[in-house]
Amino acid sequence: MLDKLGTSLKDALKKLAGKTVVDRAAVEELVKDLQRALIQADVNVRLVMQLSESIKRRALDEQPPRGMTVREHVLRIVYQELVRLVGSAGEVRLEPQVILMAGLQGSGKTTTTAKLARYFQRKGLRVGVICADTFRPGAFDQLNTLCSRANIPCFGDPAEKDARKIVRDGLPAMGSSEVVIIDTQGRHALEADLIQEIIDLQAIAKARHRWLVIDAALGQQAAEQARRFHEAISIDGVIITKMDGTAKGGGALSAVAETRSGIVFIGSGETIDDLERFDPDGFISRLLGMGDLKALVEKAEETLAKGEVDVNAMLRGKFSLRDMYSQLEAVTRMGPLKQIMSMLPLGNVQIPEDAYDITSTKMARYRIIMDSMTGAELDDPSLIGSSRIQRIARGAGASPDEVRELLRYYKMMKRALKGVRGPQGRFNMQRMMKKFGGGT
Amino acid sequence: MFEGLRARLQKITGSLENKIEENIEKNTIAPATAVGSVLRPLPEQPKDPGLLERVKVLITDREFFISEKDIEEPLFELHMVLLESDVALPVADEIIRRVREDLTRSRRKVGEQLQGIARSSLRGALLAVLGDGFDLLSYVRNHDRPVKILFTGVNGTGKTTTVAKVASYLKRNGFSVVIGAGDTFRAGAQEQIDVHADRLGIKVISHQQGADPSAVLFDAVQYAQAHKIDVVLADTAGRFHNRANLMSQLEKIRRVMKPDLVVYVDEAVAGNDAVVRAHEFEKTVGADAVILTKADMDTKGGAAVSIAHTIGKPVMFLGTGQGYEDITPFSPVRLVDELLGVQA
Repeated sequence: MLDKLGTSLKDALKKLAGKTVVDRAAVEELVKDLQRALIQADVNVRLVMQLSESIKRRALDEQPPRGMTVREHVLRIVYQELVRLVGSAGEVRLEPQVILMAGLQGSGKTTTTAKLARYFQRKGLRVGVICADTFRPGAFDQLNTLCSRANIPCFGDPAEKDARKIVRDGLPAMGSSEVVIIDTQGRHALEADLIQEIIDLQAIAKARHRWLVIDAALGQQAAEQARRFHEAISIDGVIITKMDGTAKGGGALSAVAETRSGIVFIGSGETIDDLERFDPDGFISRLLGMGDLKALVEKAEETLAKGEVDVNAMLRGKFSLRDMYSQLEAVTRMGPLKQIMSMLPLGNVQIPEDAYDITSTKMARYRIIMDSMTGAELDDPSLIGSSRIQRIARGAGASPDEVRELLRYYKMMKRALKGVRGPQGRFNMQRMMKKFGGGT
Repeated sequence: MFEGLRARLQKITGSLENKIEENIEKNTIAPATAVGSVLRPLPEQPKDPGLLERVKVLITDREFFISEKDIEEPLFELHMVLLESDVALPVADEIIRRVREDLTRSRRKVGEQLQGIARSSLRGALLAVLGDGFDLLSYVRNHDRPVKILFTGVNGTGKTTTVAKVASYLKRNGFSVVIGAGDTFRAGAQEQIDVHADRLGIKVISHQQGADPSAVLFDAVQYAQAHKIDVVLADTAGRFHNRANLMSQLEKIRRVMKPDLVVYVDEAVAGNDAVVRAHEFEKTVGADAVILTKADMDTKGGAAVSIAHTIGKPVMFLGTGQGYEDITPFSPVRLVDELLGVQA
């Protein structure tokens, strides 16, 4: 179902391709698909409506920058608006600090506490953990077991019923630890006495950070819960857990919006090492069920700039090896072809695996060979005779045949470019570059 | 329960009423009598006739007095309300489709039984997706002993707590219970169920951590047979539906212990993913009934609607708190009537 969503978004984007003016119907269709994708990802319905209004308005009102296609223009707006929605990653400093964990029942606080402890431990800090969950049976055993696997000291007392006392006793007991993480019991917004408890815990611990743990599957309820937690202890970071399931974590965005904080970590697995720093771009891709949107936008822009320069020189009929070099460089900078293709919203176009490899390795070889040429040779390839071929081949660690192959490739390109100047020229350099970069 | 959804449904009534009044004002050309007949019946209603009913009357009325196209706008708002209440998108689409079909089909003349048409069509749509309830007590009464119940679900939905609650519920109703500690993976899980069982005075069958859950649960069934125990409750480790190995482990458990009931546990606060995973669990190990936990978190109840609709299985209980008695048998008719403000 979700793959289908990604595909329909891609289809909507494809409809914008090749257009010279922004087509209202196509934009509306795109926005509608985007809404569906985001709502299915549990993003707050009101946030989705705001976002789509703003995308629609900008796509129709703003003029595409010169040289940028309509599709790239709309894509860029969609991306910028999504980045605004997701926000940036919350700050994590590697310094002595106390962290208080908060969250609903079963959101994964205890597991995440152990993972966080492990994260700081791996960064070279001494870490200690306090188990202030006095309600759930087995909570201390769970945290203690997880922590002892990583040799992290864990303070707690399953017999003690007062979480405040545990924290009061635990903090001095953690004297030598630089980072102290306090796990608390699960609670929700309507449990007034438990909300009061966590306010008290914060008063005792004076924690530098109060992080809210949110289950990736949490739905529209996230906003209300986050608001209440924020009122109580002023949340300054959100951790999304269980991202290894199929849930998209859109609910956490409501929490981010409510607390005006950022997402700090993402938990995605059952072992103590399954914790990652938050990456907004990867998160957006997951929300929409399509490839890396940011890379796509950046790369399209890059190709565009490069392509324009090349085309101007080439149209004047001067195509030297130097031009070919910068052209290859532009293509190489976009990363492996395979990766580029996977980023393009092309739907399910199948391209044979080895086609990528040959092309990209050859391109790399050609660049190395050209690095062994002199400036004069690059400007005027007709200088290159057999003795120069020998020298270039030795310099580049290539065989003379490879150098000759490169020269053949150059001649082919040059011949092809001649066609551009003719009135009925079918070959368009810019178009070809765009094809590589995914412009069209 | 589900105050959230009810409040939301009531909230749109206000905005709808305003819109409709605006529309009527705009359409001043319309015969005054017609406008009057729309507005007049309202004050005659009992003090609180269920606000939804009033919306529905208004929706229907608009169909007659303003234009058929205007039904789209209230339906869109209803759609939004459902989505904001965590009803998954495909399920919300389905409800809207049913209501729209029902309303446009039943074209009637002005003044002819306007009230209730829309409400009953919404009621019908909700009931259709909610399915029937499930009476565990009568199931246990009418079934060969021991009745074996397997609990499944993703991580952190509250399976272990729910097993304890169901055990307590059955015990209060005079059945003997044994619990199989099938969560041999999560640290602290066995200690958790041990403490619960200890408090409830119920026997737990467990092996050490990391043991084969199938073996533990098989032993639990053997124990029940030998000691003439009425019900075996089998706890399992939480697992994600996209983990093939863990799902096939669950499949093995089912093969080995041959449960009479597979109960799928999920949380009422889950969003759209609820549908995806309910579907996957139903596909791999099946599900005979559903228990929704954490229904006390001012939930809007949408997940109940979504899950029940997706797997077409009845909701058996709602978990509504942290105490052992915080478990409520689920009745769709009661829920829908409560939501729509129908006096029973």
